[in-house]
Amino acid sequence: MIRFEQVSLRYDTGPEVLRDLDFHLEPGSFHFLLGPSGAGKSSLLKMMSLGQRPSSGRLSLFGRDVSRLDRKERALLRRRIGVVFQDFRLIEHLTTVENVALPLRVAGQREDKVREHVSELLSWVGLADHLNALPATLSGGQQQRVAIARAVISRPSLLLADEPTGNVDDRIAMRLLYLFEELHRNGTTVVIATHNEMLANRFDQPVVRLSDHSAEIEDDSGDGETAGPPPRRELAATRGDG
Amino acid sequence: MAFGKADLPLARDASGRFLPWLVAFMVYLATLALVSSMIMNALVDRWDRGLADRLTVQIPAPSAEDEAGGQEARIDAAIDVLTSTPGVGGVAVLDDSEISALLDPWLGDAELARELPLPTLIAVTLSADDPADLGTLAVRLQAAVPGAVIDDHQRWVGGLVSLTRSIDLIAALVVLLVGLAAVITVVFVTRTGLAIHRQVIELLHLIGAQDSYIARQFQTHAMKLGFKGGALGFAAALATVYGAGLLLSESGRVLLPDFSFGPREWIGLCLLPLLATLVAMVTARWTVLRTLARFP
Repeated sequence: MIRFEQVSLRYDTGPEVLRDLDFHLEPGSFHFLLGPSGAGKSSLLKMMSLGQRPSSGRLSLFGRDVSRLDRKERALLRRRIGVVFQDFRLIEHLTTVENVALPLRVAGQREDKVREHVSELLSWVGLADHLNALPATLSGGQQQRVAIARAVISRPSLLLADEPTGNVDDRIAMRLLYLFEELHRNGTTVVIATHNEMLANRFDQPVVRLSDHSAEIEDDSGDGETAGPPPRRELAATRGDG
Repeated sequence: MAFGKADLPLARDASGRFLPWLVAFMVYLATLALVSSMIMNALVDRWDRGLADRLTVQIPAPSAEDEAGGQEARIDAAIDVLTSTPGVGGVAVLDDSEISALLDPWLGDAELARELPLPTLIAVTLSADDPADLGTLAVRLQAAVPGAVIDDHQRWVGGLVSLTRSIDLIAALVVLLVGLAAVITVVFVTRTGLAIHRQVIELLHLIGAQDSYIARQFQTHAMKLGFKGGALGFAAALATVYGAGLLLSESGRVLLPDFSFGPREWIGLCLLPLLATLVAMVTARWTVLRTLARFP
């Protein structure tokens, strides 16, 4: 699903933010992306969401080398990726429904066909009473759920979330993570970046750990501390040597 | 668009308020320039066509020592020469009332004209397919009637033609510069729009919008504004031309004959606001696509 081969990233002429990334996330896997803030979690997610080109190395998504895709192909590939941005990035003049429907609209679907589907999803994340609210009138947690709904509305094959639990209390955070697990059970590949190790440890899922500008895969996350089942076989990730 | 509200709230930008006015001024200027050039061309064309196969032969006014009937003899001699020349179609001597009608716009008082020693004018029509050779005719005429002058109007028309060419050139230059100014204006307005809405555009890009999806919103916006301004400027220019026409015809003594546009001129003029709309649209699209090309 996602394969990094000797990938490095630097912004302009700055120092390397990420160095020699070399790992592979299987289709249908679920990973937490852990690391202290500033370790490059967001940059890594940005590359995965085709929002940033690697400075060097090869990045493949859905089995395709992204550097060889033309603009149209990249746009089409992005439609298979749902992203929950750390800062939500809701469009201020659009209502909750319109914000969530945006990926469908961009993909050329008609509003009358998607509205029901959008409302259904919004009820499911507990925003049934705020369908026509503007983002400014919603609380941080509500905005976050709108952002999550927007990321999953088009049933993406790959879901990337940057600190999706950053603005909510633990109870809601757990609920959101269960939502991601639910998506994962339906076949979506999920990567969740968080600095909250405690939260990640409550789920028995493998971890991509960023430290010192490079990534390590930890397949045995949560060992001993939680009584969860052992890692599922489809979650296996090859260990990087970078 | 299937959705009621646009993702990019371009309609709320300040550009919506000032771009139509800028385009209106530009289209106004371009229309006036084009109208001037069209009027001049049509007039020269008419004069040229009207005068091409015509000559005027001038026989000087009789002097004091002339014997009676001398002028008539000279006129008859000139007519003899003219009618015996191959390629001359018709000969007509202008009588006093015609001459005073010609002088009327210049001198006004017809009574005064009668007292002046005026040359006799003979209007000559050349046959269209085989016009007489002017050089030979002039020599023969001079021999028969000393002092007779042939005027083939070329000096007058020639001067007019070169004036028209300069006006054409200036008009073309005005239209070109105005077009250039329009392009630059739209580029800056579009860039401003891109900067204002950068976050939304980045988001649209990241959730899979193709460049054309984003460009479409800008180009539609620019097209609307361009059309609004183009129509406004065009209407104002036509009103100006109409008003100028009224003023000229009211002042009475107009040297220029009446002029009205044919379908060809109308089509040419109507193209201007449409062209402004098209330029705005294409420029906006091109600007957006160029900017988006830098996105990953």
